Amino acid sequence: MQEVFELVKKDIKTDWRNRYPVFGILLYLSAIIIISYMSFMNFIKPEVWNALFWLIILFTSVNAIAKSFMQEENRTTYLYFVASPVKIIAAKLIYSNLYQFTLILISIVLFSLLLGSPGNLNTWFFVNLFAGSIGLASAFTMVSSLASKTENNATLMAILGFPIVIPILLMATSISKQLILGAPASDITSDLLTLLSVNVIIIALSFILFPFTWKS
Amino acid sequence: MLRTDWWKWLTMAVLLYVFVGGLLLPVPRLPILNETIRVLYFHVPMWFGMIALFTASCIQAIRYLAKEQLTNDIFSVLLAEVGILFGILGMISGMFWANYTWGEPWSSDPKQNMSAIALLIYFAYFVLRGSIKDEQQRAKISAVYNIFAFATLIPLLFILPRLAEDSLHPGNGGNPGFNAYDLDSQMRLVFYPAVIGWALLGFWLATIKIRYELVSEKLGL
Repeated sequence: MQEVFELVKKDIKTDWRNRYPVFGILLYLSAIIIISYMSFMNFIKPEVWNALFWLIILFTSVNAIAKSFMQEENRTTYLYFVASPVKIIAAKLIYSNLYQFTLILISIVLFSLLLGSPGNLNTWFFVNLFAGSIGLASAFTMVSSLASKTENNATLMAILGFPIVIPILLMATSISKQLILGAPASDITSDLLTLLSVNVIIIALSFILFPFTWKS
Repeated sequence: MLRTDWWKWLTMAVLLYVFVGGLLLPVPRLPILNETIRVLYFHVPMWFGMIALFTASCIQAIRYLAKEQLTNDIFSVLLAEVGILFGILGMISGMFWANYTWGEPWSSDPKQNMSAIALLIYFAYFVLRGSIKDEQQRAKISAVYNIFAFATLIPLLFILPRLAEDSLHPGNGGNPGFNAYDLDSQMRLVFYPAVIGWALLGFWLATIKIRYELVSEKLGL
């Protein structure tokens, strides 16, 4: 457990030292939000708000998490001898989820500042938001470990990742649409459970499959 | 010498029966559908075949990761290739059918979307393979992606119908025009053999491709 925390700390330190990837993503995020503000200024409906918001999360997350294994290229051999693959994937999953949460919080603040809030953003909305973001971050972390082994990894990140996150994205978007339109919590609990179980499948598979990609 | 297994003769016999029986045997007269109902024998088995081939491909990928034999990798790729062929044929036949019965080739039906996603995943699988040079590494990375993608494809089978209550496909929504054939014993006589026959044909195609690949591997082509 100690090692996992050290690995997470190492990632945070790396981000702190060369700040440009983080600020690059923040700039990317603000640019998309401002573009969507300018395109949808006066006619945004709650359903459109919801779809647009999840699309922004999808694109931010694919770009943000792509770096999680690609930045390790020079350190792979070192890490290979220091830590076991299970610990490395655990650390990476924790780190990308933390990173994703921060980005999502920033984006919801910016997004509702510019495009307005579509109605009742209650606790369940945020529960669903975090459930969806755990799924996206975990799936993209695993895909990043695959894409980092290839030659044109930035393109492959999107090609490999998007079909895989479709189940998560569909569930999360539909739950959040129902909540925004004012559905009670009892309507969405079964859908939310399905979403969480998809997350469990993805995380469990990452733990099983990651050692194989790491060794090659 | 033609060395042919018994199941290949079975495939030929069953498919001959499906073609003759499927086009000539009586079918129920339903409004809108009319004679197009016969596409059922060719369209639906494509999906069964595709799912069977993708499952086999995933199993071969698991076996590759367990034993690291390149043969398993070859099996896995070629099964997926034939699976894609079946998927494309199923999609084209379905779009033709939908054009005459539902009024448009693509109506965002959950099953249509699901098949589109499945094809996207397996196209991505081939792009991934194309972008890794080293043979062992390509086999390993693509096997991992194959398993990962297949495991996320399965929840879609349960999720998508739940999201859309009004599927146009029979079985998951109000669609009175179609429910009739579920019970029609006349059509079952052709439909079940068709499912088996097309799936067998898929595996037959795959074995030919696999044998060709293994031989050219051995000859160093």
